[in-house]
Amino acid sequence: MKIRGIKPMQDAHVNVTPLIDIIMCLIIFFLLVGHIAKAASVKGIKIPAAKNGKDLRNKSNQLIINLVPPSGGYGNDAMPSILIWSNRISESQLAAYLRKQKSDNPAIKVVLRADRSIPYRSIAPVLISCAQAGIASIHFMTRRPG
Amino acid sequence: MAQSTKHKSRGMHSANHVGPNMTPMVDVVMVILIFFMLGSSFVSPDWYLTNNTPAIKGGLSNVKTNAMPPTRINIKLRVRGTRTIAILPGLQTADLSGELATFLTNKHKELTKGVPVQIFISPSSGVPYRDVITTYSDCIQARFKQVAFRPPPAQ
Repeated sequence: MKIRGIKPMQDAHVNVTPLIDIIMCLIIFFLLVGHIAKAASVKGIKIPAAKNGKDLRNKSNQLIINLVPPSGGYGNDAMPSILIWSNRISESQLAAYLRKQKSDNPAIKVVLRADRSIPYRSIAPVLISCAQAGIASIHFMTRRPG
Repeated sequence: MAQSTKHKSRGMHSANHVGPNMTPMVDVVMVILIFFMLGSSFVSPDWYLTNNTPAIKGGLSNVKTNAMPPTRINIKLRVRGTRTIAILPGLQTADLSGELATFLTNKHKELTKGVPVQIFISPSSGVPYRDVITTYSDCIQARFKQVAFRPPPAQ
C-alpha cells in the first residue's frame, strides 16, 4: 500500500499586508497629531502653574493665541509676539481678526497660551480684544503644579 | 536524468518564496509606532482655567456695570520690588497662593448665601502673568464664579 505523505504547505505564511496597512495608518495618524500639536505649542513659552485648573472636554472650535516673550527681555519697551496658532499677528490687527473669527464661528473659544513672565500690560490688550469681539469663553492654558 | 529532475523541483520550491522580505520592515515600523505611542503618553494633558466673561453685545462701549452683582470685591495686584502684593479690603499679602486663597475662601462662606459676588482682579501693568493666574486660581478655589479682569490703570 502506498502511503501519501503530507503535501508540503509552501504557501503557509502569515499575510502581513493588512498589518502593515494598519500600522502605516497609525504612524500617519501620530505624525499628523504631532504636527498639529507642534503648530499649537509654540516654543519659548513657559506656561504658568495653577492648582485649580481642569481638563477641557470639548476641544472643538478652539483658537489658540500664543504670547511669546521677547528674546532679549523686556528692555527698551520690547513687547511679546502675538501668534495665532503659529502665525504672527500685530496687536492692532487682533481685534479685527477675532471679530471676523467670531462672525464666522459664533461658538469659538479662545485659548490663551502666554509665558508666565509676561507683564499684564501685554495680556490686557488680548483680553480687551476678545471682549470687543464678543468672545465670551477664554481658557487660560496652565500646567499642573509640581 | 533522475538527478536533473530533482534539481528542477528544488529550484521551483525556492521560487515560491521570491518576493520582498517584509520582516525587517515590520520590525522598523513597529519600533516607530511604539516610539510615537510612548512619546504621546509622556505629553502631559492640558490644564485650563476657564473664564466665561459675559458676552458684550457691541463691545466694551456697551458694558453695563449696573448689571453686575452689587456685592463686589476688588483685588488689586501691585508690584513691590520683585514680589507681587494683593491688596483688598481687610488684607494685604504677598502670599498669593496661601494667605489670599484662605482669605477668599472664608470671604466666600461669609458673603455668598445665595447672593452672587462679582470679583474684579485689577493688576497693575507690570504684574507678571503667573501672579494674575495664581490670583484667578485662588478665586476659583474659593468658589467665586463671576471673576473679571480690569485693564491696567493708565500711567
